[in-house]
Amino acid sequence: MHESTPPPRRALRERAATGVVAGLASGVVVGAVMAFQDMVVGAPAWFGYVIYAVVLGALLGVTTGSGRSRSPIAETACGGVLLGCVGWLLYSLTLVPLLAGTAPTWSAASAVASYPQLVGDLLQGGLAGALLAVLLSLRADRTAGAGSPSRPLVRIVIIGGGFGGVSAAKTFERLAVRGAPVDVTLISDSNYLLFTPMLAEVASGALEARHISAPVRASASHTRFRHGRVDQVDPMARTVRLAGEAGTISYDHLVLAVGSVPHTFGLPGVEQHAWTLKNLSDATRLRDHVIGLLERAEQERDPAERRRILTFVVAGAGFAGTETIAELYDLVFGVIRFYPAIGSEDARFVLVHPGDRILPELGPDLGVYALERLEARGIEFRGGARVAEATADRVRLDDGDSIPTTTFVWTAGNRPAPLAAGLSGTGRQLPTDAQLRVTDLDGVWAIGDCARIPDPSRDGEHYPPTAQHAIREGKVVAANIVTSIAGREPGAFRFRAIGVLVALGHRTAAGEVRGIRFSGLAAWFLWRGVYLAKLPGVEKRIRVLFDWLLDLAFPRDIVVTTDAKAPVHDDVVVGSDR
Amino acid sequence: MSTATVTDAILHRRAAISGGLAGVAGGVVFGAAMAVFGTLPTIASILRTDSAVVGFILHMLIAVLIGAAFGLLVIRFRIRVRDMLFWGLVYGAVWWFLGPQTLLPLLQGMPVDWSAAHAETLLPSLVGHLFYGATVAGVFVLLQRGGRTTGRVPAVGAVVRGAVAGTACAALLTRVPNFQVGSWAWLLTGLVLGVLYPLIFTGRPEPTGPALARGTVYGFAAWVVVELTLQPLVRDGSLGWSRTDAAAVAGRLPGYLLLGAATAVVFTWLGLWLRGLFLDDVRKIEVEPPGARGPRATAYGVLAGIVGGLLFTVVMVLVGALPMVARIVGGQGTSVGLVVHLVISALIGVTYAVLFRRQSFDVLSGIGWGVSYGFFWWVLGDLTLLPLLSGGTLSWDTATLAAQFPSLVGHLAYGTGLGAVYYWLEAGIDPWWMTRSGIEASRVTARREQVLSAAPAVWVLTVLVAVTLPILLTGA
Ligand SMILES: Cc1cc2nc3c(=O)[nH]c(=O)nc-3n(C[C@H](O)[C@H](O)[C@H](O)COP(=O)(O)OP(=O)(O)OC[C@H]3O[C@@H](n4cnc5c(N)ncnc54)[C@H](O)[C@@H]3O)c2cc1C
Repeated sequence: MHESTPPPRRALRERAATGVVAGLASGVVVGAVMAFQDMVVGAPAWFGYVIYAVVLGALLGVTTGSGRSRSPIAETACGGVLLGCVGWLLYSLTLVPLLAGTAPTWSAASAVASYPQLVGDLLQGGLAGALLAVLLSLRADRTAGAGSPSRPLVRIVIIGGGFGGVSAAKTFERLAVRGAPVDVTLISDSNYLLFTPMLAEVASGALEARHISAPVRASASHTRFRHGRVDQVDPMARTVRLAGEAGTISYDHLVLAVGSVPHTFGLPGVEQHAWTLKNLSDATRLRDHVIGLLERAEQERDPAERRRILTFVVAGAGFAGTETIAELYDLVFGVIRFYPAIGSEDARFVLVHPGDRILPELGPDLGVYALERLEARGIEFRGGARVAEATADRVRLDDGDSIPTTTFVWTAGNRPAPLAAGLSGTGRQLPTDAQLRVTDLDGVWAIGDCARIPDPSRDGEHYPPTAQHAIREGKVVAANIVTSIAGREPGAFRFRAIGVLVALGHRTAAGEVRGIRFSGLAAWFLWRGVYLAKLPGVEKRIRVLFDWLLDLAFPRDIVVTTDAKAPVHDDVVVGSDR
Repeated sequence: MSTATVTDAILHRRAAISGGLAGVAGGVVFGAAMAVFGTLPTIASILRTDSAVVGFILHMLIAVLIGAAFGLLVIRFRIRVRDMLFWGLVYGAVWWFLGPQTLLPLLQGMPVDWSAAHAETLLPSLVGHLFYGATVAGVFVLLQRGGRTTGRVPAVGAVVRGAVAGTACAALLTRVPNFQVGSWAWLLTGLVLGVLYPLIFTGRPEPTGPALARGTVYGFAAWVVVELTLQPLVRDGSLGWSRTDAAAVAGRLPGYLLLGAATAVVFTWLGLWLRGLFLDDVRKIEVEPPGARGPRATAYGVLAGIVGGLLFTVVMVLVGALPMVARIVGGQGTSVGLVVHLVISALIGVTYAVLFRRQSFDVLSGIGWGVSYGFFWWVLGDLTLLPLLSGGTLSWDTATLAAQFPSLVGHLAYGTGLGAVYYWLEAGIDPWWMTRSGIEASRVTARREQVLSAAPAVWVLTVLVAVTLPILLTGA
């Protein structure tokens, strides 16, 4: 933060104390005049008046000129008169009758009766305000002369502008408002927070790409943001280095929230030929690719080749894979009417999964339900099978079977982003303690998909890599860092997922919330309601809502703007280099 | 260090000199009025004589001293008529409490009398102090010009806009039943107020809320100038500053307050719309689109309004005003009244959020805007709309002002709660002081100065008008 730092508690206390001095001094002057005129008589009245003066002074001290040490006298004096007037309404017109055991009437007659107090309170308030300004500027001069600057801020660097990083930044902002001495910088190589739960809908063309992403600068508008890629962290020197010529940044505490990248386990051909669904460009390119295939298939005379062109294979039947295949299905059959030469039997969808049911996160019943819904549409499920190899025109499974296809989507494996993988030494997630501190690295904290965080309530287990968890971890890591700056022991991260919901394409979803299971249309409405509400920012919510509403009235758009012939894998390539 | 001190010293000397000179002008104006009222000997009695000449000389000396002090006090603000006018008025008002009511008797060795009865007899002196303050402020700006600020002539369009706003608002107010004003004279007043508004309040367009608060005080000043001064002067060559004279025209005060506030608001809105439609340089559009932070602000407005409304409820319950409120919706009883009251509180809270969003920079400024807004709603809501909507008779005479004093207290309490809570909520999501660079910090400082410039003076004038006038005009 720059120049005008928030009024931390200590400064506030000092201002209050100065205010009390000013209030008392002015109270003595005005009180003397009033006593001289027999307006304040006797010990109880004096006692009440002193308390009034003290409270008014303290209030004046804390309510004026936050963040600025010097307000002009005229300003604080006016503040004093204002408070004096409010004080008269509260004290003379309300409290005094109450204390005397009568109900306040606030009538003009009672105001006339205590009018002298009003004059006294106005003068006292104005005098207190003027005095406060003088005392504060005297003290400011003294501290400036003594060369004691305001206390240093603790430098915090967050890497990653995803769910975890942005949530941490927002929490830091809230804590800074309450006086936490932090100076936060968020570094990310995407300048927006991507709302991944709706990514599959972008891939199917139901949503506009920009509508599911919120600029980091808007979400965390008081945090310093640097758009760039961190290519090295030096935990000894406590610096991070930005790629290119962008320089290094020092930190006192580092929060790693770099997320994960697809992991192909070195399977031959997968890295080169598989599509992934991790970021916006993956999604839009996949969509353009599918439309491009439809254009090609429309011109293809050979039925076998047409079927190969229109075969879509998705590996991995977790959330991402299941949603992806359902959305691809919706896309193809949603626009097929534009392609008169393509029959509905020409398109084939295959979901490959090592287990014997899909969506292991959901529990057996819902998994079976979801599979039934997909199979009823004609989506094939290859359970108990793994992908062994991919080439440009087919996917070979480990049971020897081979599926001719031009679209193979890989969602079956993730690993931490290269930066975190490099730091952990093992290439795996960064192990942390329950307080989210990275083991053996001082001043480094990790959250989200790149961290391996123990679940204290389930021995030996770790929290799953979901957005729900990343958001909560972001909040807790910020609070923990502020706690540890204050010299106290941070608390453990504890969170029970509220529930899980998975969209299964057109008007269907399945899920479980607080132990209650939902499926079909009800679950679909729930899914849309919940995720719409979770989108960051009103604007994006409204835009997505409009996308959905327009989708009811118009067919999907088949405009292709990119030239997507083959997947690109910058993330994966960088990862394998390390 | 040394250059700064030297320039500071020069600045202060110049301010004191122009302030002193301005004090001469102010002293002459005030002194003339004192001569009319024959109060100059009172001042002379400090020196234990009763010669009017000695009194005048002493008066001028004091006027110069106080004028110089004014210069020193305001030198750190932007020296513009639009701001100085309010500082001058508030300065005069404070000296009314400090001078004739406190220091003068102390110096004369007489008992200090702060009672309402005594203050009533000093009403001419209050008006005199206000004129003194305004004159000092105006002359001070003239003298300081050429130095730090340049006078900007407002565009013809702005003057036309002001004329339209003033006349339209005056025309609307003639429809208020029982508001006896000579129709043409009143429309002319509206026109003049409207034309003067952009001439006095030059400079960058400002948000509507602060304009409303300022317009209310502008309306009060217009009442003093037109009803207490110009009209009696024209009619019979005297000043209508005494309590009886002022009380006779007190019924028009609410009309003037509403006229001033409405003129300022309509003027500002017309400007906003015109700029929104015809401005092609987006750099000059300072209004944030409402979508980004508007919904949150609205919710906070509701919350803050309800808190303020609850404070107000205490007054309402004890005074037994809730059944009256229930009649707005044609209902009966306390509980209906309470619901209606809280709904209205929340709605007004929302309008506060719309008008005063991002205009407070500390709790005190929140209270300042809130109290000003609360007072405005006493005039518009309690004195005007409530009788109209609940089928009562509308009258703005002194008896009504006195009878509605409890409601005034309630409205001020409402404003205090509303403004303070709203600021507190807003600071949580929009901590304006947390800046990330020097450029942003200076942008924030500039905005703060632009918004707050004379705001403290406006708040104090509002609250002084609110709590003293109904009492003093009614008569103790
Ligand atoms: C298709 C799909 C659907 C999903 N659906 C759901 C769902 O429905 N519900 C749910 O709870 N979870 C869902 N998830 C999981 C969820 O997206 C992740 O758990 C969550 O994004 C993890 O958050 P994070 O902050 O750890 O990382 P991310 O959100 O991935 O953010 C990481 C950020 O770090 C940046 N970054 C990485 N490396 C660097 C570097 N070296 N320098 C600078 N910046 C860097 C990246 O650009 C990115 O902005 C889904 C994921 C996918 C892919």
